[in-house]
Amino acid sequence: MSGYTRRDFLKFGAYFGAVMGLGGAAAPTLAAALQRLTESRPPVLWLHGLACSGCTVSLLNSENPGPLELLTQHIHLNFHATLSTATGSVAIDVLEKTIAAGDYVLVVEGSIPATMPKACRVNHEPIGELVLRATRQAKQVPGADGSLQPLVVATGACAAFGGVPAAENNPTGATSVGDYLTQRGQAARVVNLPGCPVHPDWIVGTLAHVLGFGLPELDDAGRPTMFYGKTIHDQCPRFSDYESERFAEHFGDDGCLFKLGCVGPEVYADCTVRNWNGGASDCIQAGAPCIGCASQDFAREAQFPFYRMNPAFPKILAKKAEG
Amino acid sequence: MATKTIDPLTRIEGHLAVKVDVDDNVVSDAWSAGEMFRGFELIMRGRDPMDAQQITQRICGLCPVSHGVASIYAQDDAYGLEVPGNGWRLRNLVQAGNYLQDHISHFYLLSAPDFVDLARLGAYEGDDPKLSMLRDWLRSQDPSPGLIQAAPLLPRYDADYLSEPEFADPVLRHYVTAFDIRILGHKMTALIAGKQPHTPALVPGGITLRPDVKILTAYATMLDKIRRFVDTAMIEDLLTIARRFPQQFNEGRSYGDYLVFGAFIDDEVTGGRYFPAGAWIDGRLEPLDLGAITEDLRFSMFDSTSGLAPLQSDLSPAPDKDGAYSWIKAPRYLGRPMEVGPNARLVVGYHQGHPDIKRLVDWFMGETGMHLDQFNSSLGRHAARVLETKLIADRTVNWLRGVRLGAAEPVCARFDVPREAVGVGLTEAPRGALGHWLEIRGHKVHRYECVVPTTWNCSPRDDQGRRGPMEQALIDTWMADPDQPIEAARVVRAYDPCLACSVH
Repeated sequence: MSGYTRRDFLKFGAYFGAVMGLGGAAAPTLAAALQRLTESRPPVLWLHGLACSGCTVSLLNSENPGPLELLTQHIHLNFHATLSTATGSVAIDVLEKTIAAGDYVLVVEGSIPATMPKACRVNHEPIGELVLRATRQAKQVPGADGSLQPLVVATGACAAFGGVPAAENNPTGATSVGDYLTQRGQAARVVNLPGCPVHPDWIVGTLAHVLGFGLPELDDAGRPTMFYGKTIHDQCPRFSDYESERFAEHFGDDGCLFKLGCVGPEVYADCTVRNWNGGASDCIQAGAPCIGCASQDFAREAQFPFYRMNPAFPKILAKKAEG
Repeated sequence: MATKTIDPLTRIEGHLAVKVDVDDNVVSDAWSAGEMFRGFELIMRGRDPMDAQQITQRICGLCPVSHGVASIYAQDDAYGLEVPGNGWRLRNLVQAGNYLQDHISHFYLLSAPDFVDLARLGAYEGDDPKLSMLRDWLRSQDPSPGLIQAAPLLPRYDADYLSEPEFADPVLRHYVTAFDIRILGHKMTALIAGKQPHTPALVPGGITLRPDVKILTAYATMLDKIRRFVDTAMIEDLLTIARRFPQQFNEGRSYGDYLVFGAFIDDEVTGGRYFPAGAWIDGRLEPLDLGAITEDLRFSMFDSTSGLAPLQSDLSPAPDKDGAYSWIKAPRYLGRPMEVGPNARLVVGYHQGHPDIKRLVDWFMGETGMHLDQFNSSLGRHAARVLETKLIADRTVNWLRGVRLGAAEPVCARFDVPREAVGVGLTEAPRGALGHWLEIRGHKVHRYECVVPTTWNCSPRDDQGRRGPMEQALIDTWMADPDQPIEAARVVRAYDPCLACSVH
């Protein structure tokens, strides 16, 4: 994490000054130089497609860094429609200056209405065109094939995999950011952060990693393995109930939540060990099944099971019985 | 005459464009355009009704709980369920936590920058740790061309802001504190409902959580912190802004007709809801009549039949429809544009003689000299939101005390999804009256329709050409500099628009 405050830099400056025998007078200059190291890091540009702003609100739920520390000490957020004081023409000016200067970390929240461009516009421009323009100018990182490609952080279920707007009946042709860019022939290194919404640690941790240490390790679906490496089921606080086949039959019951629709075995995310809202709880702790909001299949087909037995359940149990 | 467009109108939820005609620095006409459509009601068709509370929460990341609650109320109604005491009380606690974070977010994070000069942070001379951090950050901005100086807090319109240190500094101190305080509201919600935004624990019949003493104690502790913040900071800042910008009690005047569906089940209140349902029309109090609701589509980007009641209309998107300028529909009540939100709840409650509302509103009017009629103004809308934050924070203590512990205490009624049924779920989102209408055929959702607060407030013109409430509120707004239309932006933001909700 780039967790240095100006005060830290003054302190480091004094420390390095002393080490190098420069005395106190050189400290402010050194402090300024060190500080510039962090501030010359690329700014962040955050765009909203077919979104509910849930990922934005989740970002604001970040703790250590809290939201203001995040925005002022860790990242330089050039533009964000919900958080920018700039509005109207001032906001457009900020947006266009940012894109013209390029080399920013692009974050997209929400999916793209590929077949109905008017279903999401900013200043008359379809969001797909804006995202495409912004992608071309974004900071470049090595792609899967080693060539340099613009980096796009697709935050939340909608941007990563399409989400609810792309669910069956999808009237706008809503599609994930990665698929949209592919359709438009735009190469990009897309980091997918599924979850509905994204967990604050997933987005803040990814940005911190990108800014401080480069691209994190990603799986085949573009997800950082540091957050999406294991299934919910394998990290479930009710795993022992599953093992001893104690199943909840009704809401409020103790026991494994399979019969109430838990899809934990098919979902890669660390909710149950990380917990949500500063460690307050998570779905399973609250007696609710994992509804698979971080899954590629989340809500996609009308059959996707919410609160009713996962069709995979009998198969999983049979496999378990075989040992 | 000049035409000015504010697009994107930021610091709200979602994609809103506002266009105004300006004559001699005064707004002579206004258009509100919702710029995003996803088609939730089409996506709901053919799904299992149990999906509804999860799918519809995704309409909005700011008030998902409101949609979750409206959806489970609609299902309670359709399935004929009696919700146990713990069930409705815990639902209230979930909804209250979200209201508190939502109102605090709106007043401070989204709206305060319209009234207090954030650039003043650079001149801060006190010793508050967070304000000092922001001052140092502002002063140390790197002038590299790709970095927007002090973004996202700056730049902003040049305007008349609260900048005198003795008044601005306390507001700024509370502004920075609010970033952390609002998190507590979401934590309270998550304690009961698992996570937030988008909670998994809201289900027909009640809730999935079996509460324990640790959860209730943690909830009580956070609630207490929020109540202290509301009493010592938020109300004080409202008074500061009201004294510094008293003309805002006359700006943003709209029709003054209000609609309330009612919110928070409460067994100690007549009518069963802490905020009771009702309508205030033409200066008269009327009982709520759901049959009076229709939705006009003449200026909305749909080519389905206009003027029908919820569940009657098909939803057929037509982005290129002639003359249409918004994705938002134009809901009307007895054919009239109605305003919804905290001011509607307080005005209707006041006229119904609600003791808590009356006491607090009377106190505020005494402090500021404001008249009840001035809830129909930009500052009146902010004031109602702040006062309501206190009402909810205080009342939540009762709901919390009513929760019973023990394995024998049911949290959820048992049920089967019926083959055919119709249900209506009414509540109040932080932004106003919210209704979900559900029709089940063959155990599946046949039709689902949401009539949402910002749809009422930010609607375009109706079939008769009458402007929506917010469009009307913009008329006669005076602007010092039409190229920096902060006065118009203030009128809009006072409505706390949620565009993802309004179109969905």
